Amino acid sequence: MSVKSGNASIRDRTQEFLGIAERVKKSVSPQNGPTSSGSKREEPPRPAMAMQSEFNRRASKIGFGIHQTSQKLAKLAKLAKRTSVFDDPTMEIQELTAVIKQDITALNSAVVDLQYLSNSRNESGNISSDTTTHSTTVVDDLKNRLMSATKEFKEVLTMRTENLKVHENRRQLFSSSASQNPSNPFVRQRPLAAKSAASNSAAPPLPWANGAQSSSQLFPKNQMDGESQPLLQQQQNQQQQQMVPLQDSYMQSRAEALQNVESTIHELSNIFNQLATLVSQQGEIAIRIDENMDDTLANVEGAQGALLKYLNSISSNWWLMIKIFFVLMFFLMIFLFFVA
Amino acid sequence: MVKITALYVMKCSPEGSDPIILANASDLSSFGFFQRGSVREFLVFVSRTVSKRTPPGQRQSVQHAEYKVHSYNRNGVCALGFMDDHYPVRSAFSLLNQVLDEYQKNFGDSWKTVQADNAEQWPYLDEALTRFQDPAEADKLLKVQRELDETKIIIHKTIDSVLERGVKLDSLVEKSSDLSAASQMFYKQAKRTNQCCTVL
Repeated sequence: MSVKSGNASIRDRTQEFLGIAERVKKSVSPQNGPTSSGSKREEPPRPAMAMQSEFNRRASKIGFGIHQTSQKLAKLAKLAKRTSVFDDPTMEIQELTAVIKQDITALNSAVVDLQYLSNSRNESGNISSDTTTHSTTVVDDLKNRLMSATKEFKEVLTMRTENLKVHENRRQLFSSSASQNPSNPFVRQRPLAAKSAASNSAAPPLPWANGAQSSSQLFPKNQMDGESQPLLQQQQNQQQQQMVPLQDSYMQSRAEALQNVESTIHELSNIFNQLATLVSQQGEIAIRIDENMDDTLANVEGAQGALLKYLNSISSNWWLMIKIFFVLMFFLMIFLFFVA
Repeated sequence: MVKITALYVMKCSPEGSDPIILANASDLSSFGFFQRGSVREFLVFVSRTVSKRTPPGQRQSVQHAEYKVHSYNRNGVCALGFMDDHYPVRSAFSLLNQVLDEYQKNFGDSWKTVQADNAEQWPYLDEALTRFQDPAEADKLLKVQRELDETKIIIHKTIDSVLERGVKLDSLVEKSSDLSAASQMFYKQAKRTNQCCTVL
């Protein structure tokens, strides 16, 4: 790619170019009314230049957007790394994730628009090949940068899910030992049972471990049951009202689980499609490799045949041997003559 | 670890009398030998209480000490499960559903005439207890979700390895094209040496 990332590495020498063009114009046609031809020539390039600058403006906007998105991504990565078991900035992370996703989709559509614009312009006007290569290079560069930003985003998300899993495990480790305290929302649905539970939990928190005490626990429970019969009617109504939310939550949890399964399957199908695309592309590459190897084989075989012929001709060329013998004799004579 | 301690099937008469146990299965192996009797009495009592207070056609979950009791009353037959806190509620209720269906299939309507606690064992309940210690067995949704998650992880790994493969294939293409160019030069050299030796 001729266009390096970032505009810092590109020097803008437009002014120098314009100055040189002016000078050349003046020197080539000094008497042809340079102003009229200059004004005429300025007309056609102007719409082209306007479109070029439009293209440039859009490309610079997209590049800026990509830069901002990658900054947000860096912030998200830092947040995701920072999560600990208790201090979890979930809300910020989710907001940031949603914002970044929106940005990436918007940038994607903008890049597609840009490509379409450059294609339409290349077909319509008579633009130099340099402009076309420049525009295609810029569009490719933007696409590459967007793709790398998306890949980083995916990595950050996977890292965050792994972190969450690790924290969940650690939390279960810690909380399973502390499950003696029944801090359960269902407690409110059975106030009667909760009362007896409360009286029991005043005793040691392991009711099963103390066999001697459990039998004594049963008796006070029976007594309490008899006492609290009159309260039953009152609490039946309460329980009726709280039963419906339980049914709802049960149905809701089932519906939620089904939706989860469905979305997971959608994602899986997506991933499978991408996998198929990747593999088919690589299949093409493999075919190319195979052709290259076939060419190599043919060349090497031809070369081997040629060398074999050469060997044959050398070893069985009697005429050649006689010629060499004569040349050797000739040099020997000369040598003898000069020395002796 | 999630655990089911006991499963009960009771017949709940409308009001007044205590429910009657139709079938039970319990796993009291975690308690000492001498505590099992009292634990069993406790379970029976709590199941009677809870099923009496579950209106027909309703599901209920009660938190008791370190257990959750889930009960589902359907047409006067109530299924109860004693599970620990980690057992997912939805799996618990689908498990109770299955137990009730199985009971209906096996015993039909004979439970309507039962007047006293049924002391005989129902083998299905025992094996259900052992099988459903793992909540994924009871709840197909959970199983499917778990398998899908594993599949997703494996697919991600596959895609990573396919990308690596792509990189290696690219390098292979480069090398093979270099090879073919070199072999072409070799061929030309060989042809050239063959041509010029005849002059000698």
